[in-house]
Amino acid sequence: MKVREVIEAIKQHLSVPFPERSTRDTLKIGDPEMEVKGIATTMMATFDMLKRANAAGLNMIITHEDTWWNDRDDIKDVQATELYKKKLDFINQNKLAIWRNHDTTHAQKVDITVTGTLRSIGVKGGENASMRAGVLPIPETTLGDFASQAKRLSGFREIRCVGDPKAKVSKVLFGPGYATPRFSLDTDVVVGGESQEADGGFDNVEYVADATSLGMNKGLVMLGHVVSEQNGHEDQAKWLQTFIKGIPIQFVPAEEPFWG
Amino acid sequence: MKRTHLSRREFAAIAGTVATAPLRGATAPTAQSVIEKLQTALGGEWPATGVEGIKAGDPSTPIKGIATTAMATMEVLKQAAKANANLVISYEPTFFGRADGPPKAAPAPPAGAAAGAPGRGGRGGGGGFGGLSPDDPVYKGKKDFIEKNSLVVYRLFDHWKSRKEGEMVTGLAEALGWSKGRVKPDDVIYEIPSASYEDVVAQIKKKLNMHGGLRAVGDRKATIRKVMLFPGPMAPELIYKRYTDADLMIAGEVREWENTFFAADIFAAGEKHGLITLGRVASEDPGMRACAAWLKNTIKEVPSQFIAAGDLYWRAV
Repeated sequence: MKVREVIEAIKQHLSVPFPERSTRDTLKIGDPEMEVKGIATTMMATFDMLKRANAAGLNMIITHEDTWWNDRDDIKDVQATELYKKKLDFINQNKLAIWRNHDTTHAQKVDITVTGTLRSIGVKGGENASMRAGVLPIPETTLGDFASQAKRLSGFREIRCVGDPKAKVSKVLFGPGYATPRFSLDTDVVVGGESQEADGGFDNVEYVADATSLGMNKGLVMLGHVVSEQNGHEDQAKWLQTFIKGIPIQFVPAEEPFWG
Repeated sequence: MKRTHLSRREFAAIAGTVATAPLRGATAPTAQSVIEKLQTALGGEWPATGVEGIKAGDPSTPIKGIATTAMATMEVLKQAAKANANLVISYEPTFFGRADGPPKAAPAPPAGAAAGAPGRGGRGGGGGFGGLSPDDPVYKGKKDFIEKNSLVVYRLFDHWKSRKEGEMVTGLAEALGWSKGRVKPDDVIYEIPSASYEDVVAQIKKKLNMHGGLRAVGDRKATIRKVMLFPGPMAPELIYKRYTDADLMIAGEVREWENTFFAADIFAAGEKHGLITLGRVASEDPGMRACAAWLKNTIKEVPSQFIAAGDLYWRAV
């Protein structure tokens, strides 16, 4: 199968029509006529991830996020950097093809970035969720225990939280990546990937800190953007295996970049 | 103009008030007058359409003291009230977003609207959209606290950020103990005592009293001698253009798919340039400490102090 044929096969198996006008979901680099030796699904085509995919003999990368460190994958501002040249040389020398599938994935009736992460952090009831999973009930626990459970089950290392760890919580609202939901009154905990900390559309951090000061049981659990949308790409690899035969298809996670 | 100076004590005697009691009303400047003095001292235009301005409280309130902070959280407001600092100058919004309160002159949304489907953050904004409801209990509780304690909260942002003295940067450098290492007076590069990246992280955590907000990217064994300071949000163009200028970039916040993974890819490429994000607010507190110091010399009628918003995060364990 060629790169072009893999993309066509995916388009034919989506639950809703492919967003042809998307500027995100395009072939970022590589030859559409290249024979695919293996497919890697991932949250982000990071340099480290590309090295691991290449070492595994996978020459087509299906990535949810950008390759060139901006949403439009515009190389205008980065092409003068040494880093761009190094990553580009690696991709070209190893004849990799990178296709992005961001909007396609979030538009599906079941959004794997949501279902995969809810499963990873041990929240039930979102097994068939779309991008908007809504408020999900959990057995009553404390914010601290909920966050610890999420960390233990998922293996995500650097989860940042706001609120009183002893606050009793029983309702969770999740959004993947930068689609961290604004706090709404019908939830106790918002779980998200990333959002602007202050001076944005809605500042969850200050809202939860102040709700806590006012004696309300509210909490914010920020997983990190990449890890918050990552694990569903394992499901995506399995889904691709149902209609793309004879080619190895593997989930190759992007690394969690943080320490400290 | 020739003028006879009256001390507060003399004035109180003339006015018939008890000289030994704290003076109120007659001598305390109003919030409005203090703010006008601050605006005059900083210069420039102050359009009513900007994000700066009084966010809560009555402009005619007599001011007993000023507190500066990176963000006027409930905890900061409580401390300010206790310290008799009833004009709070906040660098970031008070009411949970750039709009800094419910939409003005708009009809109240139907009951339960705030509890409906969550807004989704676009690529440019924060955590979603949909205005703050005037009935929101956190908004109301905070506003009530401000009014009951006769506080006035003023947002000072662009004019402090764009000062040519650059106190947001120099304040952070001072808090980190690195002031002497500034390489050029108009740049953000500092030379610091050589240490491993891990050790620098430990130093920063201690000096800024960090709890869970600091996140580092890059080779933890790298040797750090030169750092660049970007308090607040750090634009992607800065990392693309400048990452080779220092061993470590220290920012308030960045977007993960941009600067964070640029730094992660630097590490994967075998280069030694790290990126730390402190958290936006934690990175801005020191610059607002510097603002209190500036106010002491600028507005002498009332005392000024700094109250830290602090690092609001903790880590899941």
